[in-house]
Amino acid sequence: MNRKQLLTRQESRLNLPAAISTPPPPRQEGGRFFNVASLCKIVWKASVLFLTVILSAVTGHAMSGREVYEKVHEVRSKMLDRKTEVTMVLFDKGGGKRSRTLSEYCKRSVPEGYKVLVLFRSPPDLKDVGFLIHARTFAERDLWVYFPEYKRVRRIPTTSQDDSFFGSDFSYDDFGGPPNLDDYRFSIIKEEVLDGRPCYKVEVTPKVRRKYTRYIAWVAKELWVQLKIDYYQDKELYRTGAFKDIKVVDTIPTPFSLNVENRKTGHRTELTIESIRYHTNFTDELFTQRSLERSGR
Amino acid sequence: MNLTNLLRQVSLRHIKYQKAQTLLALAGISLGVAAIVSIAIVNKSVLRSFEESFQNATGRAALQVTGAQSGFPEEILDKVRSVAGVEYAVPVVETDGLLAAGKERSIMILGVDVLTDGQIRSYSLAQENADIPDPLLFLARPDSILITRAMAEREGIVIDQKIRVETVLGTRTFRVRGILNPEGPAKVMGGNLAVMDIYAAQMAFGKEGRIDRVDISLMKGEELEAVRGRIRAAIPQGYTVETPAGRTRQIEGMLSKFQTGLNLISIFAIVVGMYLIYNAVSISIVQRRKEIGILRALGVTRGEIMRLFLAETLVISIVASLLGVAIGILFAGSIVGVLGKIVSIWYARTAVTGISVSWLHPVTGIACGIAASLAAAIFPVLAGSRISPISAIRSAPWSEEGFFTGKRLNRAALFFILLAASVYALYRFAGFSPLLRSSGFLFSSQIFFLLGLSLVTPAFLRGFLTLFHRLLAYRLGSTGMLAGLNLGKNINRNAVAVAAIFFGISVFVNSAGFVYSIKSSVTIWLDAVVRADIIVSDGHPSSSTNAQTIPMPVDIWRDIEKVPGVRSADPWRKLYMDYKGKRVLLSSVDMVRRGEYSHFMVVQGREQELRRLLPNKDNVVVSEPFAEQFGVKPGDFITIPTPSGPVRCGVVAVVVDYLYDSGTICMDINTFQRHWGDRLADHFSVRVKPGEDISRVKDAIQRQLGTDRKLYVLPVREFKEEIRKAMDQTFVFNYALSIITMTIAGFGIIITLLASVLERTREIGILRSIGMLRWQVSAVVLLESLLMGTAGGILGCVAGILTGRLTLEGARYSSAVEYFIPAGTIVWALFMAAGLAAVAGIYPAHRAAKTNVVEALTYE
Repeated sequence: MNRKQLLTRQESRLNLPAAISTPPPPRQEGGRFFNVASLCKIVWKASVLFLTVILSAVTGHAMSGREVYEKVHEVRSKMLDRKTEVTMVLFDKGGGKRSRTLSEYCKRSVPEGYKVLVLFRSPPDLKDVGFLIHARTFAERDLWVYFPEYKRVRRIPTTSQDDSFFGSDFSYDDFGGPPNLDDYRFSIIKEEVLDGRPCYKVEVTPKVRRKYTRYIAWVAKELWVQLKIDYYQDKELYRTGAFKDIKVVDTIPTPFSLNVENRKTGHRTELTIESIRYHTNFTDELFTQRSLERSGR
Repeated sequence: MNLTNLLRQVSLRHIKYQKAQTLLALAGISLGVAAIVSIAIVNKSVLRSFEESFQNATGRAALQVTGAQSGFPEEILDKVRSVAGVEYAVPVVETDGLLAAGKERSIMILGVDVLTDGQIRSYSLAQENADIPDPLLFLARPDSILITRAMAEREGIVIDQKIRVETVLGTRTFRVRGILNPEGPAKVMGGNLAVMDIYAAQMAFGKEGRIDRVDISLMKGEELEAVRGRIRAAIPQGYTVETPAGRTRQIEGMLSKFQTGLNLISIFAIVVGMYLIYNAVSISIVQRRKEIGILRALGVTRGEIMRLFLAETLVISIVASLLGVAIGILFAGSIVGVLGKIVSIWYARTAVTGISVSWLHPVTGIACGIAASLAAAIFPVLAGSRISPISAIRSAPWSEEGFFTGKRLNRAALFFILLAASVYALYRFAGFSPLLRSSGFLFSSQIFFLLGLSLVTPAFLRGFLTLFHRLLAYRLGSTGMLAGLNLGKNINRNAVAVAAIFFGISVFVNSAGFVYSIKSSVTIWLDAVVRADIIVSDGHPSSSTNAQTIPMPVDIWRDIEKVPGVRSADPWRKLYMDYKGKRVLLSSVDMVRRGEYSHFMVVQGREQELRRLLPNKDNVVVSEPFAEQFGVKPGDFITIPTPSGPVRCGVVAVVVDYLYDSGTICMDINTFQRHWGDRLADHFSVRVKPGEDISRVKDAIQRQLGTDRKLYVLPVREFKEEIRKAMDQTFVFNYALSIITMTIAGFGIIITLLASVLERTREIGILRSIGMLRWQVSAVVLLESLLMGTAGGILGCVAGILTGRLTLEGARYSSAVEYFIPAGTIVWALFMAAGLAAVAGIYPAHRAAKTNVVEALTYE
């Protein structure tokens, strides 16, 4: 199911007036347009829904894991039009540290895809190295990389979504848009307070076995952003991600500090957002191979 | 009495009394088996190392597209990728480099598209699989290189360290961006491997826009042959589409002559061991004839006597073979590196890290040992079983019953010599029948000839002793007379020891003649072809033939000509290519410049026709092995695969060329560059202006051009000397196996003399009692030994010369190799035979001199 279908489904479930006002389909048998039994059913369903809304407003609705992630999905979707200036610091297990700065341009594309251009600004060895992502869906995407020393744009073949993004502790999945919720199963383990914020602790399990067989995520209530994710390979904790310094920018809650650690190698990557701008509405020309070669110019 | 009882009561007792004799026979067979096992193991190990390298380097590639060694345009990759059934096709640049520090180790540098290569090869840049702190930096910087953990540890290299590597474009500095764990390609060449991103490798090695290989994996369910056919149709002619296993087979074919040669030499060792067993069993039968007589008188049948002696031999051969297998495995472990080095120098680069022993090696060794021992024992055992009880009990101590004697022996000798002649005739006139025209078949004629000749040994020894009596014996007084008489008394038994020496010496002279002829022929050819004053190369002088050269830009010749004192410089380029499925060498020189001072040794065709080799004419000369292998003669046309498509070339002449024994094609370098688009050279021949000092000019070249690359600038004399040294290294196995056969032959003499001394105990006692001094007894025994050695040496030299010619012919190193009699070696072999025999006689002589007179007189 794509995101549009998903949203339609949400609307049909949550938008009560829309649900009530939707006329029932005409009955074929007997040639009668109006069917009493059908009308009774609609009235009954509407009554149940109405009662449910009222009750949840009074008692507080117990959300499902899926519903939590639908909220997260919504927030992440809003982030898709943006320009970000980022500092990335890679720490190896021996204490060595390498810093790099990069600019990221992102644009939502129809129907649920997105385009991303990442350009390295420093260190000098990596200046003007860039990546271009054209995602049709979360799983289907084309990826190119440009190395100025060779003056060549190279296509990166379809990789495992969980593969390391060029030595960092981020995966290709961590760049770009939100995943398709239908590919996962969600269940709330419990509610917990993390970094002073009430959270849902949700277990996320991919339906098809992937590198990480399950995730435990802490989703901040009200903000609907993930504050922490533990990535497991079967029972072994493989990677952890912490999202801190959350600020609301243009009504979008945004974590300004990300810290991802590979527990297996001891390698760690810290990502700090220096500046972020939403609703950028970049033109498609920015996300071309030509633009990649010209460092976004 | 059953066989077990006989073995326990009779044989064990004999072995106890004749410990030295048994031990020597055992040692002889052990050494023979050890030679066979070790050679088989090292041969297998070298091939296995190639196989493993290919497997590791090719990953899950089912097919590989290769062109000429100089590489081919990248566009071929796109064509391959578009073929239906191809899952992944990844490009590879493969080149050699030399570490400019430490032991200047030669390394293989693999340039791969690291972004896509994981689809074929089992490694990745993930942190879990390799220690690459910054993969992005590795990809972004053209100086990035990954090395294996083995190399890092051996050379003490750490991440981020700069290393200097000799490359085509001179000495280049790379930065180590990561260490590869020993898996997949990182295991290739014993870890002497570095990996670069393909575009960085192309820049570093002057291969922009070119690749050396495409590795291909197939889609599930696709037929390999169908896809191969489609790929062949999609790309121009001249490319090879081969499976990785096919490449291993190519190497196997390339090494087959060399390895067969080694196997055949090792067989000689076991044949000498057979003489030893024949000798030991014969002597044992002669010594125990009374025992045989008594056993026969007690009712033991002939069959039981036969079974008893064969069982004895079987037990000894099993013990000896087991020991031989153990020694062989140990020996293989210590020589495998040497063989790997030889193969690397002359054929293709490999790093044999260990031996590869299969169950077949010990089984073959044990089977050979047992079969050879039983085959050698069967004739004396047959003869022994025919001894009649009365004759055995009455016979004199020096009776020769137990040996084949007289006419029967001569008939057998004639049979084997005629058989050898027939086999040789079949070989000569078999045309191209692969079985009859094989070196193995010709080798069998050598073995038959040597067997026939060894059966003539009694007659030869008799003649030799007659000559000795007439010419020399009286001059040596009683010692000489006695020695001659003693030898004449037991002619057949002594002939076996002489035959062992003869066989050892013949193998030695055969091998020396083979080596000497090749070296002499190559030297004559080098003198004709290499007529410059100085050779400038970027690798070891033997790079003229090996696969480890790092070529240089061809235009360096212009810089060389600018050096004061240089008269002219011209380039030479070589590369290996596939021609009709065989690997051949393509050699190109500047015909105009080279023609001024050097010439080809034309075997077929006219020298005047060589003008047709001039630039821009698609004509070539080919070497004799090439002409023979592909049935080419002057006036024919051959179609050569080139990166720009197949080119039809006229064959101008067939010439002598020893660069590559599978065949060489030689063309003008301008023609080569036109078709291959290759602007490199492997070495330059430099002529010095008349009156100029060669060493001064050499230093000047080194000074002016050796700053940004490591150059070997050698006066031609030194260059040729280096080639000779490399050749000597190649023949080290021939020398080693000659020593083994000579050692086994020496054991044969010791066995014979010990038996002789033991049997003559009473006679020695009598001689001592009538006044013969101890030293005189020793002198007689030593002289006997010396005479046997000399007789064996003379016969061995004659046989060695004759069989040497056959070996040279069978090796087909090149049909142009002329046989040269190794005069110096023959003199040395004669002295060695006599000396070795004398040394072997020391212990028996000492034992004879110690004989107690009273005990000896009562000895029965």
